[in-house]
Amino acid sequence: MSAIEKFSALIIPSVILIVALLILFSKKDYFSSFLSGAKDGAKSAINLFPTLCALIVGVSIFSASGASDFLAQLLAPVCELLHIPADIFPLIITRPLSGSASIATFEEILSKCGVDSYEGLCASLIMASSDTVIYVISVYFSSSGIKKTSYALPCALFVSTFCVLLSCIIARMFF
Amino acid sequence: MLGKCFGVICVFSIIFGVFSGNIDEISLAIINGASKSVSLVISLIGIMALWNGVLNVLKEAGIIEKLSRLLKPILKHIFPWSFKNNVATEEITACISANMLGIANAATPLAIRAINKMNENEKRTKASPDMITLAILGCCSFNLVPTTIIAIRSSLGASITYALIVPVWVCSGVCCALGIILSRILGKLHERY
Repeated sequence: MSAIEKFSALIIPSVILIVALLILFSKKDYFSSFLSGAKDGAKSAINLFPTLCALIVGVSIFSASGASDFLAQLLAPVCELLHIPADIFPLIITRPLSGSASIATFEEILSKCGVDSYEGLCASLIMASSDTVIYVISVYFSSSGIKKTSYALPCALFVSTFCVLLSCIIARMFF
Repeated sequence: MLGKCFGVICVFSIIFGVFSGNIDEISLAIINGASKSVSLVISLIGIMALWNGVLNVLKEAGIIEKLSRLLKPILKHIFPWSFKNNVATEEITACISANMLGIANAATPLAIRAINKMNENEKRTKASPDMITLAILGCCSFNLVPTTIIAIRSSLGASITYALIVPVWVCSGVCCALGIILSRILGKLHERY
């Protein structure tokens, strides 16, 4: 386990090291390409803000009103059957729909259950290893004139449901 | 679409709150939620600026092309039709590499271009198996370094941050494999009937 942790901790520093070496030893001006990329990154983070503001307020209301606990209680038997914590249920709904909505629910789960809790780790794995299925499929196909997506959506939704179950299993195995 | 989600959540929760007597908590949650979104975005600005800058350097240094070349022998088996007819192979490999590096805003236009090219000669309205495999791989997001998740976790004071990377690889790797296998099987069945 500690070997995996050490290896994981090395990944980001080594990417930065490669970039630093490129900037130092290349004739091309890689530092200015870093700057222009960073500018775009900051811009897209700021563009995220208005949506995120609305959605985090929405999710906070949902949680504070007791509605989310009520829903979690209703779904508890189903979740128990599948061995997934009921608290991550809002994330299972929002993850396929929208990136910013899932960030808002993700944040809510982390602050409610604790970042390093079992629920928090499950949610992190789901966030990192699945994507906004419905958004991706509609964007990929709609611009190329494909009207019938055939088995794409059911198959993708099946895989992302499987991803939820697997995330919970992996969270139990690794931590 | 998002507007409707927001509307439904708010109306449902506020009515629920009135009946369950949680209206004080709700008014507090509205104010706290708004300020929480600011601190979240501030931590995201830092990591997204840094990582996007890093990825831009890697892109201009030709790392995506190198990764594409490494991936090609594997992708040949995943997209048999495209590689046999030599259609859109460059776009497919570049798209998958961009997805792996986490450059979503590069991956999406590449995927659209790949699907357009696959459709150029056929002008079909129904998605082909290779197109669906590409879309499903886009949904699984095999991401080598999940920076956004790490940033959100560490901004909330997590002690498990980097250690998450390997479990994420296992999880998304298995999901991608399942997606590819399912897509191939369903593709074969659809061709037959």
